[in-house]
Amino acid sequence: MKHVLLTAALAATTLATAAPAQEVTLGRFFGACEDAGTDTTASTGEACIIQSIINAADAELDGITITTLPTDWGNYYDQIKAAYAGGTPPDVHVMHRHRIPEFAGLGALGEISGDLESVGIDPGDWSETALAAVSYNGGVYGVPMDFHANLWHVNMDILAEAGLVQDGKPILPSSPQELMAHAQQVKDATGKDYLAADFAQFPIGVRLVLALMWQQNANIFTDDGTATIDTEAARNAVTAITQLFDAGLADPQLNYADSQQAFLNGETAILVNGTWVVDFYTAEAAKEEVGLDTYYAADFPTLFDTGATWADSHMWAIPSTLEGEDRMAALKVLAFINDHNIDWARTGHMAVRTSVVESDAYKALPHRAEYAGTAAIAKDTPPSARYGAIQDVLNRELQAIWLTGKSVDDALSDAEIEVQDLLDR
Amino acid sequence: MAVTSRSRLSQTQAAWILLAPFLLTYGLFLVYPFFQGLWISLHDWNLLAVAFNPDAKEYVGLRNYERVMWGRNIEWSLLAAPFWQGLGLAGLALAAGLHWAGRMSRFNAVALAVASVLLIVIPGFHPGEEGRWYDRRFWPTVGNTLVFVGLAVPGVTITALALAAALNRETRAMGALRTLFFLSQVLSVTVVTLIWQIMFSPRQGLIANVTDVLGGSPINWLTDPQFAMAAIVIATIWWSLGIAMILFLAGLQDISKDIYEAAALDNARGIKAFWYVTLPNLKRTVTLVVVLQIILHFQVFGQSHLMTQGGPNDTTQVLVRYIYQTGFRDSELGRASAMAVFLFLIMGAFSVIQFIVGREKS
Repeated sequence: MKHVLLTAALAATTLATAAPAQEVTLGRFFGACEDAGTDTTASTGEACIIQSIINAADAELDGITITTLPTDWGNYYDQIKAAYAGGTPPDVHVMHRHRIPEFAGLGALGEISGDLESVGIDPGDWSETALAAVSYNGGVYGVPMDFHANLWHVNMDILAEAGLVQDGKPILPSSPQELMAHAQQVKDATGKDYLAADFAQFPIGVRLVLALMWQQNANIFTDDGTATIDTEAARNAVTAITQLFDAGLADPQLNYADSQQAFLNGETAILVNGTWVVDFYTAEAAKEEVGLDTYYAADFPTLFDTGATWADSHMWAIPSTLEGEDRMAALKVLAFINDHNIDWARTGHMAVRTSVVESDAYKALPHRAEYAGTAAIAKDTPPSARYGAIQDVLNRELQAIWLTGKSVDDALSDAEIEVQDLLDR
Repeated sequence: MAVTSRSRLSQTQAAWILLAPFLLTYGLFLVYPFFQGLWISLHDWNLLAVAFNPDAKEYVGLRNYERVMWGRNIEWSLLAAPFWQGLGLAGLALAAGLHWAGRMSRFNAVALAVASVLLIVIPGFHPGEEGRWYDRRFWPTVGNTLVFVGLAVPGVTITALALAAALNRETRAMGALRTLFFLSQVLSVTVVTLIWQIMFSPRQGLIANVTDVLGGSPINWLTDPQFAMAAIVIATIWWSLGIAMILFLAGLQDISKDIYEAAALDNARGIKAFWYVTLPNLKRTVTLVVVLQIILHFQVFGQSHLMTQGGPNDTTQVLVRYIYQTGFRDSELGRASAMAVFLFLIMGAFSVIQFIVGREKS
C-alpha cells in the first residue's frame, strides 16, 4: 500500500514538472456567465461572449490555465486597487481607458510596447484612436478591446405612429426645441414617453449632459485643470433634458433596470444607453412576448453645433510586477483576446482593429450600419486621475436637479466648486 | 511536595498562558490595526502610491481632520439651526426641572443634559460670509447616518418587542413562527438587498403590484429622495429583527408567571398587563437591545451601497460608505482613516453608555 502511494506521488510530481501549467488569474467585470462554453462565435451578451473567449483561451493555449476572478461590476475598481495595494493583482485584467492616468501614473501597469510582436499582436492593425486609448506618456499599457458609446435605441413602431419615420429611418431632433416638439408629438399620438434613460443611479444622465456640452464645443474642465461647469453651455445642456421632465414627457426616476424594462415593454420611444446592449435588444425584439418589436440603433443626434456622444474604451492590462514566464503567459492571453476582436464586436461594441472593422463579417453584424457614424463623434472628458470622483459629483448634482428640484444655477455652481476641489487635490 | 509545587504554575501564570492566544490575536488583528489607523489618519496617504513606493506618504498632522470636519470662516451662533438647538435647550430645561423635582435619577438627568448640550453646540456651526465647509459631504453624511440610526433602532426594537410578546407561547405553531421570523437574520446583506430591490421595484415589485391593485401609482422607492431612506430602513428592520426578538424572548421568559397572576387579580390583562408588568420587567433588555442596535446600525454600509448607491443625490449616503469611497475609490487613506476615527469615537461613546448602564444596580 505504502509502495503504491509512493509511486502515485512520484508520478504526480513528474507529471507536474513535465508540463508546468502556467496559471493566469484574470480580473474582469461584465457580470457572470455560468455556461459560456468554448464556442466564441455562438454566445450572446457581454458576459457570455467574453467568458467564451476566456474559456477558449484556457482550452486552446498550451500550458496555460486561466482562473476568472469574481465578475462583479459595482466594486470592480475598488477590488483591483485593493489587490494592487496588497501586492496580489490579477495577472491579466480589464479596465477602462479613463482609468489609465490613475493606474499607469502610479506605475501599477506593465509597459508592453516591446512585447506585443513577440506574442503575435500587431499594434499597426489598431486604429489610431485605439492606440491612443492605451498609450500614456509615450508607453503602451494595454491591449484595446473596443470603443463603446451612447446610442439612441429606438422603438420604430412608436416613432412611426407619431409620424417620425422616413425611408425606414427614424427622424431624430436636431435642436432642443425639436426634441421637445418630437416628444410632444409622441405623447399626443401614443400617450407614451419619448425618452427614457437611467437618470437616477448609474451616470447615463451625466453622459447625456456631457455629450450636449461637447456638442457646444464646451467641456467640464480644461486640460490645465480648471473646472468650467457653471457655464451657459452646461445650462443649455441641462435644460434641454429637464424640459422633457417638466412637461411630463420623460421620467427621471427610472434606474438602469427599470428604464431598460420600460423600453423593452414598448412604453417609451427612445432609450439612451450604450453600444453594449445592441445584441441583447436585437434578441429581445425578436421574441414574441416582448413589447419592443422593431428595433433600431441610431447615432446620438446632434442637438447643437458639433456631433458628439460620450464614449470610452475597454482594454486589457497586466501589472508591472509580473515577470518572466508569468508575464509571457499573461501576454499570450492578451493576444488571444486581441485575435477574437470580431467576436467581441458582436455585443454591439465598435472593434479596434482596422482589419476587423473593414471585414464583411463586421459590416454584416445586426444594426451595425445604423450607427456607423458613432465612431466619428465619440468623445470623453480630458484625462484625470480623479475621473471616478468627478463623475460622482456630476451625478449627484444632476440628480439633485431632476429628482429633488434643486435649481440648475445652484447645482452647477456647487458642482464646479467640488470638481475644482478634486482637480486641486 | 516541593517538586510538584515548583512544576505547577501559579494561578496568575496559568491565567496568562490561557489568555495568551486571545491576547495575541486581539493585539495583532484589533489593537495594532487600530493604532495604525490613527497613524495613517495623520498622513497624506494614497492607497496605490504608497503600495508602490512606501515613501510616498507625507506627515500632515491633523490636517486630514481639518479638511474633513472644518471649513473656511466657520462661525458659531445660537440661531443657526433653530429647530435642533431649540430642542437642545428644551431638553436642558427638562433635565434640570425633572431632577430638581425629584422625578428623574441623577444619572438620567446628566445623560439628557449632555445630549442636549451636544444638540445646542454641534448644529450651531455654520460657514460665515465667504466661508464654506472644506468637505461639503461629510456633515450631511453624518446627518444621514443619524437619521438612519434614529429610524432603524426604534423600528427594530418596537417590531421585535411586539413579535416577541406575540410569540411567547409554548405551542408548535409559535415555535415555527419564531424560527421563520429569525430566518431573515441568517441571510447575508447581499441577499437581503437583492430581495428588497425586487420588492421595491416599481415594475416587477410586490409592493408596486399591491399599490397597482389598490389603484395607486407605484412609488419609485429607491430613486425617490423622499422614500429612499425609508426603503433601506424597512429592509434593515426586516433583516435585523431576529436577534432583538430572541433577546426579548429570553427576557420575557425570565418574568415570573406569579406576577402576571397577581396582576390578573387586579384586573390587568392583555395590553394593560403588557404595559404595567412586561415593559417594566424588560427595561434592562430594552436598554441592551437599543444600545447594541445603535452601535450596529452606525456601521450601516451594505444596504445603502447595494440598494441606492448612496443616492439619489446623497440622501442615503452613510458614513461607512463615505469612508469606503474615500479610501478605495479616491485612494485617500489618510482622510478615510480620519473619518473612521470619528466613527470610532461615536460608537465608543455608546459602548461606554452601555457599560455604565450594564453596571447600574437594578
